[in-house]
Order: sequence, then C-alpha cells, then structure tokens
Amino acid sequence: MCNQTKRTTTAFTRGLDDLRTGRRSLLKVAGAGGATVAISTALGARPAAAATTRRAYVLVLDGCRPDEVTAPLMPRAAALRDGGLNHPFASSMPVMETIPNHVMMMTGVRPDRSGVPANSIYDRAEGVVRDMDRPSDIRVPTVLEQLGAAGLTTGTVLSKEYLYGVFGDRATHRWEPFPVVPVSGHAPDQATMDAAVAMVEQHDPHLVFVNLGDVDRVGHSDVTGPLSLRLARQAALAATDLQVGRFVDALKASGRWADSIVIVLADHSMDWSRPDSVVHLQPVMDADPLLAGNVVIADNGGADLLYWTGDPASRAAAVARMIALASETPGVLEALDPLVDPTLRTGPLAGDVVVHCRAGWRFTDPDVWSNPIPGNHGHPATRPIPWFIGGGHPVVPRGVSASEQARTIDVAPTLAAYFGLGAPEGGYDGSSRLPAG
Amino acid sequence: MTNLDRRTVLASGAAGAAGAGLAVVSSRARPAAAAPSDQVFRQGVASGDPLPQAVVLWTRVTPTPDVTPGSGLGRATKVRWEVAEDAGFRRVVRSGTLTTGPESDHTVKVDATGLAPDTAYHYRFVSGGSTSPVGRTRTAPAETSTPANLRLGVVSCANLQAGWFSAYRHLAARDDLHAVLHLGDYLYEYAPGEYGYGRSNVDVRPHDPPTEMVQLADYRRRHAQYKQDPDLQALHARHPFIVTWDDHEVTNDAWRDGAENHQPEEGDYATRRATAHRAYDEWMPVRMSGTAATGDGTQLFRRLRFGTLAELSMLDLRTYRDQQVATPLMDPAIDDPDRTITGRAQLDWLKDSLVAPVQWKLVGNPVMIAPVTFAQVPKDLIGPVDDVTGILPRDGAPYNVDQWDGYTDDRRELLGHIRDRGLRDVVFLTGDIHSAWACDLPHDPATYPVGDSAGVELVCTSVTSNNLDDITGTPPRTASLSVEAAIQTSNRHVRYLNFDDHGYSVLDVTPARTQMDFYVIGDRADRNATSTWTASWATRSGTNKVEPVGRPVTGA
Repeated sequence: MCNQTKRTTTAFTRGLDDLRTGRRSLLKVAGAGGATVAISTALGARPAAAATTRRAYVLVLDGCRPDEVTAPLMPRAAALRDGGLNHPFASSMPVMETIPNHVMMMTGVRPDRSGVPANSIYDRAEGVVRDMDRPSDIRVPTVLEQLGAAGLTTGTVLSKEYLYGVFGDRATHRWEPFPVVPVSGHAPDQATMDAAVAMVEQHDPHLVFVNLGDVDRVGHSDVTGPLSLRLARQAALAATDLQVGRFVDALKASGRWADSIVIVLADHSMDWSRPDSVVHLQPVMDADPLLAGNVVIADNGGADLLYWTGDPASRAAAVARMIALASETPGVLEALDPLVDPTLRTGPLAGDVVVHCRAGWRFTDPDVWSNPIPGNHGHPATRPIPWFIGGGHPVVPRGVSASEQARTIDVAPTLAAYFGLGAPEGGYDGSSRLPAG
Repeated sequence: MTNLDRRTVLASGAAGAAGAGLAVVSSRARPAAAAPSDQVFRQGVASGDPLPQAVVLWTRVTPTPDVTPGSGLGRATKVRWEVAEDAGFRRVVRSGTLTTGPESDHTVKVDATGLAPDTAYHYRFVSGGSTSPVGRTRTAPAETSTPANLRLGVVSCANLQAGWFSAYRHLAARDDLHAVLHLGDYLYEYAPGEYGYGRSNVDVRPHDPPTEMVQLADYRRRHAQYKQDPDLQALHARHPFIVTWDDHEVTNDAWRDGAENHQPEEGDYATRRATAHRAYDEWMPVRMSGTAATGDGTQLFRRLRFGTLAELSMLDLRTYRDQQVATPLMDPAIDDPDRTITGRAQLDWLKDSLVAPVQWKLVGNPVMIAPVTFAQVPKDLIGPVDDVTGILPRDGAPYNVDQWDGYTDDRRELLGHIRDRGLRDVVFLTGDIHSAWACDLPHDPATYPVGDSAGVELVCTSVTSNNLDDITGTPPRTASLSVEAAIQTSNRHVRYLNFDDHGYSVLDVTPARTQMDFYVIGDRADRNATSTWTASWATRSGTNKVEPVGRPVTGA
C-alpha cells in the first residue's frame, strides 16, 4: 500500500529547504517534451571525472509483475530483457513494499541492517504511524554515497514523494519533481522520463536511479483487477513501456549505449482483492482482554505490522496471543514473530508480529475504511518481480537467462561490482548478478 | 483382430504354448549370447536417484541356475561393485563388496558415494568369476551450481503383454539425457489374457508368472521378467532412473486400504501391498525412506536437486489416498476436505518443496492434476474413454475420480499455496492416462483463460498400454479427434491432447524455459518399431502457461 498513512513534514518541503538554504543548487533545463525539468546538484559536486566511461542506469518499474513483461504488452522492456541477462526467478524482499525495497536496492542489505523495513511503521518514539520517508531513516551508506566517495557521480529521478524523501540528498544530482507531482504523490512516467533523459544529457552521472510509478499507481486503483481483467493496468504497462523505449533510444542516440548497463526490475508485484476480501485486525485485537488498547497496527496493504504497546514484560504473552488471533482470521496466510522467523529480517521497527494475507485479500487497519484500494502488495503473493540487465556494455551477457534467484538486494552489489567498488562494512546481504570476472 | 503384427502373434503364441514365455523372450533378445556373465547377470544392471555425490547401483545375481527370481533358493553370494571414470575400468574411483542372498531375492543394491558432481561414470559388478555388462550413469550437479540444462527421458505405463518396449530402446539410444523419469506403472499385475494389446487383449508377450501377481514370489518373478526385456535392460544400463509408482506396481486403482483389483480371496490387502513394496524395493534402483538398503522403510516420496536450476519432487499418490468415490456422478465426496490423495504429511512436504530457492519446481506426479471435465465427450465414446482413463461411468459423469479431480480439496490447497506464496515455474510431470497432454493449471477453470495459471502439467503417453484408438479399433487420428476436440472445448486450459499414440517424451529444462518433446512409436507389436517426433510444448519461465514449439531439442 502506498498512500494510507499520514505524513508529517513532507519530503518536498524538506527538499525546498535544501534549495533555499543553498545546500543544493538548482538548474532548470528544457526537457524533451518541452517542459522544464528542475535538477538540483549537491554543493561542491564536480563534473563527472574521467575515471571511467562506464555508466549504469537502474529503472524500477514500480509494482510490475514478471508475467506482464511480454512482447505484445511491453515490447521495449521485453526486447531489453531478451537481449541481455534475464533472471526469471526474482523476488522482492519482506516487507514487499516500495520504500524498503528501493532502500534494499541501493544499500544491498536487509531491513534489520538498513533500518527501513516497511512503507508504514509505528514510530514508538513519536507515538505515530508514519511513512519511512526521511533521509535519516536509512541507517547505512547506500551505493550512492559509495560511488560519491570513489569520485563518481550519481543521480536520482524518483517519481514518488516518499522515495524522494527517504533518499534525500544522497545523490549528486536530484530531480526536483514537486512542480509536476499531482495529488497522488507520484509524477507521471512521461515527466519522470523527461527528467531522466535531461539529467543524463545535462550531467551524465555514472549512476542514475529511476522510479517509474504509473504501473503501480494504476494497479492500486484498477477496479477490474479482482476480475483478472486489469484493463487500466494494461494501458499503463504499455505507456510505461514507451518510456523505457525512450530511455534506451536516448542512450543509443547519444552514444552512451556501448558503455552502459541498464538494470530493470520492480520493487514488488501486485495482487488484487475484492471489497469483501479484507482482513480487519484492529477490532480482533481490541476485543481481547490482554491486548485491548495496547496494539497499534501499521497497515502495509498485504502486510499488517502489529506493535505491542503495553507492559514490555508481557510482550511474549502478547505476541503469542496476537499470532493466535491473527492466524484464526479468514484471509490471513500467516502471522510471524520476526524475532523467531529467520526469513523476515525486518528488524525491531517492523513491530512485534508481521501478518501476511493470502492472495486475493488485503488488510484494512486501523479502520475498516482505511484501505479501500483493490490493488495491494506486501504479502508473499507479490514477491515475483522482473529483474534483468540490458545495455551495450560488453559485461552484459547477450540473450542469457540465469536460474539463480535474484533479489532487490542484489542491485547495489551488482553496481559495486560493475564500478569496481568494495563491499560496505559488514558486507552485502545480496550478490552481484553480473558474471564473475 | 486388430492390425496386430502377425509374425509377432505367432511367436508369442508359440512361446505361450510352450509354457516358457520368459525363456523365449530372453533368447529372442540375445540370440547368440550364452556367456557365463549373461547367466549370472540375467536382469542386467541399473542405476538411479542421482545425487551430486552418490548414485544407487543395482543388479541381481543368479549364482547357480536354480536360483531363479522368486524361488527363495540359493546361498549368500558375494558381489563386488566398481565405479570407474572410463569404460575400460582403468580408473576405478569407488568399489566395494557386499553379500546378497535369498532374503533379498539375490538382488544387489548399493549407494555408491564419494563421487564427483555432474560427472558421467561407468559401473559394473563381479560375482563368481563373472562380470556384469557395463552400465553408465551420471551424478547430479552440485546444489549451488548453475547447470545450463537438465534433460530427462520421461515414460510411464509399460504393459509388457501389450507390446514391445520400443520407447525404451529409442531413449537408450540417446546420449543427451541426464536421467530417465519413470512416472509409474513400470509393470502390471495382470495374468495373461487379462490386459493385452488392443480391443481383443491379445498378449504380444505373456506375463510371467502366468497368474495375477499376488504373492511375493509373483512380484519378484514379474519384476525379473520386465528387467529381462532387452529394451528396458538397455535403457537401465544407459541412464540412471528416477522412479515413482502408480497403482499397477501393486494392483489396479490402489488406495490406502484396498484396490479395485484386489479381492478378499487374494488375502489381506495390507499384506499384499507390503509384499509388492518389498519386491519394488529389492528390484528398483531407488532410495526408499532415504536409503538404498531394503527392508528399512517404504517411503517413496523424495526430492532430487539439480543445482539452482531445478528440484524434482517425486510423489506417491497411492499409499496414503482415501478410496476413490464409488459413484463419480457428481458425488460431493470428491470435494470432501477430509479426503486426501497425498496424505497430510506428503502434502505438507510437497508445499515445503515448492518454496525451495530453486528456479524450476518439477513434480513427478503419477496421476493428472489438471481438472478435466469429460462432459462434452460423445456418448458412444464414453466407454472407450473410460477404458483408457479409468473411471468414467457410462452415464456421463464428468470427472476421472482416480486423478486429483477425485480429491479436489488437496488440489485446492496446493494451488492456493502456489498462489499465496507467489510461486512460479511449477511443472507437474505426469503419466497414468496413456495419452499425451500439455495443460495450464488455472486457478479458476470456469473463466479461463481469464485469470492466472498456477503452473503447467505435461503428461507423457504410455510406452505400450492401450489408449483410445486401440480400444475403439478405429484407425489412429479418426474417432479420437472428436474426443480430443470435445475435451479441449470444455477444458480451455488443455492446450494439447493426443489420445492415440504410444511413445515417450524428452523434457529439457533451461533457465529460460521447460520444454517437452513428444515422440511416438510405430506399432507396439513390431519388435523394431520406429520413433517419430510429433509435437513439442514449452513453458517460458515466469509465464505458468504452455505454448507450442516448432521443433524438438537436438541431440537425439
């Protein structure tokens, strides 16, 4: 789920502060569509050093399912996949939400290390359920900072406000989308790609990280999704594919293709539920004598994060009760204690119990009207993602599929291997997906 | 009379009349062979269940001519085994000696360990001064390796009375296989005259013993007869087998506590089944309950891993299942959540298998899982379809309740698990039904192709067992076409169906796709029947759907 929790200070407000206070300088350039594109640059950043001709681009097709990347629906993306190195067995990581998986891409580590386990958490210190959209939420260096330390430049072109927020000013160059973002909190892909192309032309960063949000945004609201029709969704896929094609064409036209790798993946996929297939856990918890009034829920669409706010001494009993009650609720796939389940690695911020729903269901908490949207993710049904590397650089195998599982945490190690950077302290949790050597 | 090969009928008839069918078949196979090794190792050699560092080796010894299979005669006999890198056994890498005897019917089964992954080996046995024929086998790739492909021969339903095992011979001639997957009905229980070739049930070759197999000696003799078939012997010697059983390894339409073809006068069913399982454990190159030792358990469901590319989960759908419903005409019991085809433990185990961090989740599945309604099949053909597929009542009940269709709650749980966990690339590999199919596995067959598919099912046809044109007596690709069209009309997830031909399949798994090539053989009564490629269907990774492919994989 993307838009259900309240924000405190908006990310764009903080970005404007960066500009007003002079921490970043602003350049306005004419985009391909004629619209003005605003790109800020960190103070003191130098033009790209000539250390390497290598370029890398990461395009995130937010919420795209791997079976949607087909030739009739997404011919340009499919061609990029089929001409490069494909990982048909690829997975989003818990919690299968936008912010944590983008953070996993750029850090290469799981949320118990990065500090970002979900879109929406209960912030115990502030006593509020909030989005993880603050730069300080990421507690480890990202590959953006690693590249910067190595004298290379980076750029972020993030179509969603909370992604813009969480990555803050880590990149050398940052698209400032706030003039074009509609009320949904997402820039349309056309505008996003205008910005990406303009940034490449203007600043030529070594790495550009792009989020294309239309497929996800339309998927969330596609009321034909539960009927397996996904009419609006299919139109969005075709439109986003045009933008992928534009980017490839721009790389080829400018002569960058032969020096480039283009990593295309999704942060999670999408599952649709009918209005009657909802799981509403808050009243279940509040009806229990032990738990009543002491459970706060952060709703993440297909995952509910349950926080025990009562006496810490009673935590074990409370967790057992929460798991028992949630497990009995129709539509619940599993209720897990992250301290016990080794697969989650969500860390303390994701609460005391992580509850996943079955395919075709969604959570709505704390209120029954909290989550009205049909398309959701966060549950295991939404783990499959596309994950492939295209591009003209000789390091990219041509027309190869690999059987190893690829994950969102593999992006940073892949970039580090490509640029010859070492691993961060403690090593990566992911692995490079480029052939060794 | 069907289009049976006349010379073969005469030959078989002569053998049957002489009351020595076994000897005749054997001498036909090796007309000039009378060397001592042939007398000691009459049932050949076999290997199976390849792991990265181990493979099961098998043979049987006949130390003296009176120690015939099932006889219970003979003394303890020492047998040496050798595994070598070369055909000349100059580089023997593993060897050992063990003792067999009448308690295991003089079969020899050893788990050769300490081998290198993804490596071809030669093996042989030595006993009483005789050396066995040399077998060839291959270990599985290491668990963390990334194999470019996995290629398996796929077979099921080989009824010796119904014809020659040409399918086995053609697979044995291929050098590009990593193993052979046998999906069950490796042998049949029937007496001569009960189930043979075509409409008239002509026995191309009569079974030995000349009775239905019920007692331990019967099962042992029948296993021995099959292993003396030259084509099966050649295939065993060439490639490792990965086997599961269906019903005929015990008796027709077996379930947990009985079987259609088990009558009270044949004794206690549990005893009969234990007997059949014991003979199977003795005579097949398989690890039961995790070991190559016999008598230490008969759990057949197990996993075999092929690097990061694939894991194969072999199912046992006979030992734990509830009884088939008696009146399949919409009996609500087919949906009863308390009825099971897998048993609780095996279903949980299978669900665990499917979440393994391996790309292709292959399931060795003895009976079809794709839902199939036969509701549109023309009335006059219901009978023949029933004879092929199992239990279709003449009043047009729409389901084969011996398949997963008779146990819908297990299927619902399994397909729901696939959907809930976001699993991809699950491929069911199936036998039993004497026909070739390629199907999607829709979550909702009623609305399909709208909606998602949980995976695919690829069904190989029978090696010899009768199918539709054999039973109707019509020429191939005539009457069956209307049945196939009717089935596909009311089952839009059934993309390919061939009810007429016998043969084998070749499965090729790569990270990009899994493809099954369907080969058909000529007349089963023809000892030298040829083999022809007829169709190929593939599922591209991540699609969970099948699509036609224009040509088979090369290497044949």
